[in-house]
Amino acid sequence: MQIQYLHWNAAHGWRGANALHEPAQLVLYFGCRKELASGERYRELRRLYPESHIVGCSTCGQIHGDDISDDEVVAVALRFARTRVRVASQAIASRDESRRCGVDLAQRMAAPDLAGVFILSDGLNVNGSELVAGITEVVGPDLPVTGGLAGDDRFEQTLVEADAEPSPNRVALIGFYGSSVRIAHGCAGGWDVFGPRRKVTKSEGSMVIELDGEPPLDLYTRYLGEEAAAEMPGSGLAFPLRIHDEAEPHRQIVRSVFAVDRDARTLTFAADIPEGCTAQLMRANFDSLAAGAGDAGRQARNALADGIEGDKLAILVSCTGRRRVMGQRTQHELDAVAAELGDDVVRIGFYSYGELAPPAATGRCELHNQTMTVTMIAEAAA
Amino acid sequence: MHRLLARQIRQATDETGQVDVTRLGELVGAAYEESDSDRRRTDRAIKLMIEELEQTHKRAEQDLLRAREFLDCIIENIPIAVFAKDAKDSRYVLLNRAGEEYYGMPREEMLGKTPEQIFPRDIARVVNEQDRRVVDSGTPMFLEGHLLEVGVKGHDRLVNSRKLLVRDGDGAPQYLVGVIEDVTERITNEARISHLALHDALTNLPNRSAFNAALDERLERAQEASTSFAVLSLDLDRFKEVNDVFGHPVGDLLMRAAADRLAAEADGAFVARIGGDEFMILMPDDIGREDVLTLAERLVEVIGKELEVDDYLSQVGISVGIAIYPDDGVAAATLLANADSALYRAKREGRGRVCFFESETDQELRDRRLLRHDLRQALEQNQFLVYFQPQARMDGEVVGFEALLRWNHPTRGFVPPDQFIPLAEENGLIIQIGEWVLREACREAASWPRPLQVAVNLSPVQFQAGDLERAIHQILLETGLSPTRLEVEITEGVLIGDFTRALNLLRRLKALGIRIAMDDFGTGYSSLSYLQSFPFDKIKIDRSFISNLEATPQSTEIVRAVLSLARALNIPVVAEGVETEAQRAFLEREACEEMQGYLVGRPDLIERYLDLVGVAVERRVYA
Repeated sequence: MQIQYLHWNAAHGWRGANALHEPAQLVLYFGCRKELASGERYRELRRLYPESHIVGCSTCGQIHGDDISDDEVVAVALRFARTRVRVASQAIASRDESRRCGVDLAQRMAAPDLAGVFILSDGLNVNGSELVAGITEVVGPDLPVTGGLAGDDRFEQTLVEADAEPSPNRVALIGFYGSSVRIAHGCAGGWDVFGPRRKVTKSEGSMVIELDGEPPLDLYTRYLGEEAAAEMPGSGLAFPLRIHDEAEPHRQIVRSVFAVDRDARTLTFAADIPEGCTAQLMRANFDSLAAGAGDAGRQARNALADGIEGDKLAILVSCTGRRRVMGQRTQHELDAVAAELGDDVVRIGFYSYGELAPPAATGRCELHNQTMTVTMIAEAAA
Repeated sequence: MHRLLARQIRQATDETGQVDVTRLGELVGAAYEESDSDRRRTDRAIKLMIEELEQTHKRAEQDLLRAREFLDCIIENIPIAVFAKDAKDSRYVLLNRAGEEYYGMPREEMLGKTPEQIFPRDIARVVNEQDRRVVDSGTPMFLEGHLLEVGVKGHDRLVNSRKLLVRDGDGAPQYLVGVIEDVTERITNEARISHLALHDALTNLPNRSAFNAALDERLERAQEASTSFAVLSLDLDRFKEVNDVFGHPVGDLLMRAAADRLAAEADGAFVARIGGDEFMILMPDDIGREDVLTLAERLVEVIGKELEVDDYLSQVGISVGIAIYPDDGVAAATLLANADSALYRAKREGRGRVCFFESETDQELRDRRLLRHDLRQALEQNQFLVYFQPQARMDGEVVGFEALLRWNHPTRGFVPPDQFIPLAEENGLIIQIGEWVLREACREAASWPRPLQVAVNLSPVQFQAGDLERAIHQILLETGLSPTRLEVEITEGVLIGDFTRALNLLRRLKALGIRIAMDDFGTGYSSLSYLQSFPFDKIKIDRSFISNLEATPQSTEIVRAVLSLARALNIPVVAEGVETEAQRAFLEREACEEMQGYLVGRPDLIERYLDLVGVAVERRVYA
């Protein structure tokens, strides 16, 4: 596999393109919504790579190498030696259709030599858990399935597309086929629970109406302070909720605040929170988050088989909540991943509204919040 | 240099290597702000968390306190003695109210003390041994229904007690918890209830359930050991009268006295009162019939003796039915039913009797023997009657009567002729009885103003034995009845056997002017040949054909054929058993001459038919 890294900024336009000897099969790009919305970046890429699949999404910040940028567009063009790539995308009319959409797309991907699936999904109008459930229902729980939910800078709109100009309410899947491709992944958070356990006394789907009989916004306001609470839902990312599933006590379910209703004083989270379950606030510090990211990198690197030929790509999908907490120190988590992956890995990625990867505990792909996930893609020697 | 600062300097440096100090200042300032904000958030979260945890802790403490009060309340009020002791030295640390009552001392006197300081030395030693065993082994101790000798109230009390070890957080023995439940009342009650369930409250004899259980057990044993035993079913005679006359209190006393006598007399047997005035006795194994009978008769005798009850002298009797295993049944139900059947017979034959069970065949034989015996006396004791049934032409005009024998037995009532006539034929009594009927019928007919026919049945036996011709002759002479008014009805049985003799006799009777009728025509074997051999004056079609006229087409055709045959032979026909107008109309259409049956009149005493025979009622009444 050969990788060409390229990036775009307003001053220089695209740099680094077309250095590959042969045409790329896949171009993967991430950018801020502002730069992607017009479709101009896609059209430019299409001109550069007329025969390639081009897949991308909007983000809460792009990762390229050691750097994070907010107003650039980053991309990689991939030339596989013995691996085929297929892409598919589908619009989704409502959150309720998420599972159906997952099933449909996965069925379009399904083939005996399907070796892995990478997902880019709308970040606000898709139920990530259900989407993943639909996909794994078709491809089975053991096939590597990873990806992320697109982001933006203010919880307004997210964009996704495969081989077309990006648009909202979309889900795109990339399928890797053949026996040569190697896909490895890691997923970790670095958050700790704190404070008393609370009961979700009233909820509807992903909206929590009462926690211990109290409106959840009141609890968050108390913990954030009035000033920071005014910046909800963004500021609420500092305190995700750990949900305890009595059936699977060791399963780590972490949910971030996604929306706030100041009149009803309710909060909406990234996925369903069942009424009657136990929830506990979580918090993290700069070091623990960086350590968590390093852990995800180590898992992926350890999982990648030996005997790799050519370049190695690492796609980092990290939660916007982590960036929000770490601020300028966000770099530390990228450093931690880089230290684990080593110098010979090309790193690209984005800050997201949700990470899709199998946690080490279950091995079955799930929606996460507040984690760093690392997906490594490479090809084995012939 | 801190790596964040290094990065900030890098970010603030332009392509020429110039550091933008303002930009650097902003970055550093923002980083400080982020740190401050994170610290504030953290401090705030920690403070809130501590507050929340304190509240939670307080709530938990209150919950704990309430739970403790709740449990204390239960322990204090539970009607079971509960105590706790220090596992090391067995000093009491807790005692509830029931415990105070149980030991008969207030808790202040027990708490903080060891068993030696509370109980007598020997008891304290036992208690300590038990405590050490539980502490050393870690296994709970359970004692059920044992007699407890500890404490004031403890004497003669039956208790269930348990003692178990409670360990502290490190697993070391901490407390011994004991529970003592006084089960004296319960055990006594259980015994009483189980006695009540199996005994009759009035006589204290075993009741029906107990008897059934005993019988089942006995049957099982007898089957294994191949033994035999007797079951007696007994019933007090006239007990209801005692109740009615003297009232139930006296009845109860009498019942008790009778039960005592039964139990005393049947010593060694299982005597049960199974309800009302009924008792059952299960005799010991392998007692012979004779001995069973002797005992039963002794019971009848003893119960029959006058009983003085509450200043009343009263007398009851007892009847006994006996069934023997295995002869009279191997199943409980059969044995009981057969003992009851024997009892029923004993009561029927007159109370105060003892009867063994007899099978149905035995009973029939016995019954015939009795009937035969009674038949001998019937004639002497005027138990026979003659009934008359009118015979009429099809237009209804009565032309005669058939005389029919009836036996009114003093105890059995009317005995059906088909039961006693075969018996009378068997032993020849029919000859005397037949002559008696003939005489009565003739005498009666002779007294009628209207010269109606009288028909009398003759038995084949009368033809075979004795001098029938002479007897008829004599009766006609005696009664003055014209021979032409007498009709004798014979069945084909008369002609079977000594055909010639019978034929001759019939001819001689006919010569006297007596009419001869063939009875029950159509039911025998060869009536047609008899018709050919003797000029009968009348044929009687059997009632079975007439009653089936409306039901089966075959009957209709047979009746038609008989009528047509008789017409051809020029013999008049009487149809028997005519009960409906439809039957009569059919017979008239088919030119039958006469009829007999309920439509004309039932067999009855002649008094009922006086008007038909021409006797004015007044004359008969005042004659």
